[in-house]
Amino acid sequence: MKKGVVIFAHNNRQIDYAKMALASGGLAKKHLGVPVSLITDQSTVDWLKESNLWDKALQTFEQIIDVERPADLQQRKFKDGKESVTAPFKNSNRSSVWDLTPYDRTLMIDCDYFIFSDALNEYWECESDILISTKYNDVQGNRIGYLDKYISDTGVRLLWATTVMFTKNENTKVFFELVKHIKDNYKKFADIFRFDNRMYRNDISFGIARHILYGFETDNDYAMPPVLSVPDMDLVYDVNENGIQLLTSNANDYTLCNIKDRDIHIMNKQAITRHIDKFMELV
Amino acid sequence: MIDFGYLIIVNEGADTNYTRLAYALALSIKNTQKEGYDKVALVIDDKQHIENFTSTWVFDHVIEYQGPEGWDSRSYMDQVTPFEHTVCLDADMLFFRDYSHWAEYFIANSELYVANKAYTYRGELVVSDHYRKCFTMNNLPNLYSFYTFFKKDSVLAKEFFDLQRAIIKNPERYSNEFLISHKPKVVGTDEAFALAANILDIADDIAYPLEFPRVVHMKGMIQNWPYPADTVSDHVGFYFDRNAKVKIGNFQQTDILHYVEKDKITLETINILEEIAWKKR
Repeated sequence: MKKGVVIFAHNNRQIDYAKMALASGGLAKKHLGVPVSLITDQSTVDWLKESNLWDKALQTFEQIIDVERPADLQQRKFKDGKESVTAPFKNSNRSSVWDLTPYDRTLMIDCDYFIFSDALNEYWECESDILISTKYNDVQGNRIGYLDKYISDTGVRLLWATTVMFTKNENTKVFFELVKHIKDNYKKFADIFRFDNRMYRNDISFGIARHILYGFETDNDYAMPPVLSVPDMDLVYDVNENGIQLLTSNANDYTLCNIKDRDIHIMNKQAITRHIDKFMELV
Repeated sequence: MIDFGYLIIVNEGADTNYTRLAYALALSIKNTQKEGYDKVALVIDDKQHIENFTSTWVFDHVIEYQGPEGWDSRSYMDQVTPFEHTVCLDADMLFFRDYSHWAEYFIANSELYVANKAYTYRGELVVSDHYRKCFTMNNLPNLYSFYTFFKKDSVLAKEFFDLQRAIIKNPERYSNEFLISHKPKVVGTDEAFALAANILDIADDIAYPLEFPRVVHMKGMIQNWPYPADTVSDHVGFYFDRNAKVKIGNFQQTDILHYVEKDKITLETINILEEIAWKKR
């Protein structure tokens, strides 16, 4: 069974997801010891070539899979500490991972998820066809809101599609087809499941698909470990061999903390971009 | 043949129709439980209440019983049951799948077992003590009388039920002495059960950790919602389908449902349950 990591990256004018994926993919390859493939689009590939990162991409990724660029259907406010920028959010093609992955057992990660340990290697042999994180762990510990746990006030559990591991088989095909169906009928599902549909979220689609396939019950089946996350109100102070130094946001100030040897999801894209070369040095 | 059955005790009130709820529960038991584990006894103050029901055969025993006035007759469950092994249930519950194997478990391993957990409609453990301040503040075991298994000739069960009757009979005396940190307005069956278990020091014997019973408790304030809620159906739908399956919101209910809102059992739901029972028969 061939196993590997898959990362999606579609650049917009504000955020260089491809460069982020290079760091994220390089770290995944280094710490998990498995090949990594990139799913991207032609304009992002062109940008990689233009910014002299193409050779690095060829070294990092086993395959670079060129797909159609998802439509700019939604704009999202990307927070950067107390600042923010609005940019297109192209996250709507994750359900195609089943068709696109070159691996039998795939770990799909977000390009803002940085792997610094081999903890996820424990999950390759797990008997579950699909594993998704069911929890989000705030790096500061106390900033988890209700809608970080559920898709709505009375609705189903939110899943964290930041880390998804699956075996390519008929069961998971049904799952990803259902995710696509939910994405294509997002407003209808928002009526039925009563969530806020103003921005498409894979976490919601994955949560609903899982809920439906479990017979509309809450499952307590195997899952990926909780995603240790740095919300976008936090800043990255420095990145070096001693770890990632973060400025975590409090009501009126920031607290400096250091994360080392832990897989981490950093939601502040601009903060990653400012330190991306340092991330790449760690590869 | 094992003498096992479910006991439903009804104190019919003026503004409720508990007998109809008991009838719905009995139908759901007949529809889902294995033969031999589907017997139901109804304890009622006046047999006339069931005369209009089409399928009174779902009650294997109908026992007329006039408990002391103003009392919850559930306190007498050990004395009124016709079975050697009994599970006493609240009337406002529904069964959706077969739990006969758990009845077998209790018969083989227990003389007395009281439910000590409840779940939300989303299948999560209830952790809120909103309705149970008396329990947490007085350090009482978290017992729910809505599912109580007992063996008729058990000494342990006799001691327990005798004491809980004494508590119900003398609520002032017992709450003044034992429920000092938070005195409940009414010492109900749950409080009396918990206090009796505490005084006898048998909580670990009669409410040890077990994956069953899983009872979904539909009181509004314990659903892990981000806002206060009086009644659940103000916020999520209650969908009863042709196969007598229930969905609450987007959640299929497969555990025992303690629906609390008595108006959920309509003539239509009764008709659906009856139809299934007739076909099964």
